Amino acid sequence: MDPSQAVREGLLPLLPRLRRLARALAGQATDADDLVQMVLERALTRAAQWRPDATLDKWVFAIARNAWRDELRARNRSQRLFAEEEAGATTADAASAPAQKLELAAALAALPPDHREVVALVLVEGLSYSEAADLLQVPVGTVTSRLARARATLQAHLGKDA
Amino acid sequence: MNPIDDDTLQAYVDGELDAEGSARIDAALAQDELLASRVQQARALRAQLRALFDPVLDEPVPARLSALLRPASPQAPMAATPFVAASARRGFGARRRHTSRRWLVPGAAVAASIAVLAVALWWHAGSALVRTHDGRQFAAGALSHALDQALASEPDPHASIAIGLSFRGADGHICRTFIERSRPALAGLACHDAAGWSLPVLSAAEKTERDELQQAASDLPAAVQAAVDARIRGEAFDARQERAARDAGWR
Repeated sequence: MDPSQAVREGLLPLLPRLRRLARALAGQATDADDLVQMVLERALTRAAQWRPDATLDKWVFAIARNAWRDELRARNRSQRLFAEEEAGATTADAASAPAQKLELAAALAALPPDHREVVALVLVEGLSYSEAADLLQVPVGTVTSRLARARATLQAHLGKDA
Repeated sequence: MNPIDDDTLQAYVDGELDAEGSARIDAALAQDELLASRVQQARALRAQLRALFDPVLDEPVPARLSALLRPASPQAPMAATPFVAASARRGFGARRRHTSRRWLVPGAAVAASIAVLAVALWWHAGSALVRTHDGRQFAAGALSHALDQALASEPDPHASIAIGLSFRGADGHICRTFIERSRPALAGLACHDAAGWSLPVLSAAEKTERDELQQAASDLPAAVQAAVDARIRGEAFDARQERAARDAGWR
């Protein structure tokens, strides 16, 4: 089987998880699916670089995280408005979502990217600290300290209204 | 005096401690209410995040995404996936704007080389797809039917007419882009008003035999794109809005 074929077949069952990760990173559903599209295009382009000894989910999650960072940088360059807009972005699209969910989504959107990605990888996607550290190419201690600070911020947000 | 630091507690909650470390925390929790409440808070946050994002796992994957992973083989032509897309405001949205206004048509389909013809007489003379009323052109027959009924979110690869974007124009009327896949193919914009689907723009999309392996993803003819840009207010309808608009009679 050629690598591209193997990657195509392997990615198909990963699409729901990839969409979940993208939603946790990008916030809005439409943005998240645009991110997923970008990730799939990149993954197929780079299919030859994937080695079957590397798990495909970590490989494509790394592509997703990097694509998201690229997109943030591009946005930052083109619009200084980014921070304000992003802070107002909602993750839960349903207007009927409970207020608590919307608050959590808003708090997550307001986190710095460093914190948001560890939350997405560890707390949403369920990666271990060392898997997240590998993917982000930082020491495990960095993952845990970012995660602790992100948690403190999110809990402060949620506790405020409780 | 609390010998358990925050990092250890976090690792406990996240399942990162070995059995011995976990047992130590378990024992401490039984003794220390404050510690127990911190653990409970951290667990609650985890659960809330999962509750927020896990529903994504149960959503149907949009066809435009799964289509990217389908093998490109002549034996298995790509299904038509003209998708309705909201053109968002920025960033990913800008990309969406670029990628969404495309026609994804099966097989040997309509590629982009577009000669804009005002209206090709041969097309509507012989067919019953266009009628003229008060000097304006309106959709008729199968075109009118497709505009009334077809949903871009539920494409029919065998239909001769495919619907692209639907949106509400600045004048309040709902407009839809379409492509007619006969030879030579035509694309256009139809806007709904009291007299039916008026056709402010019709444009020829030259059919070229492209690589059969590839989905033909052609940009909207420039004239149609320009007409969309001139009229659109806000974002294009998503699948739900499209269906709701149909159910409301495109008013």
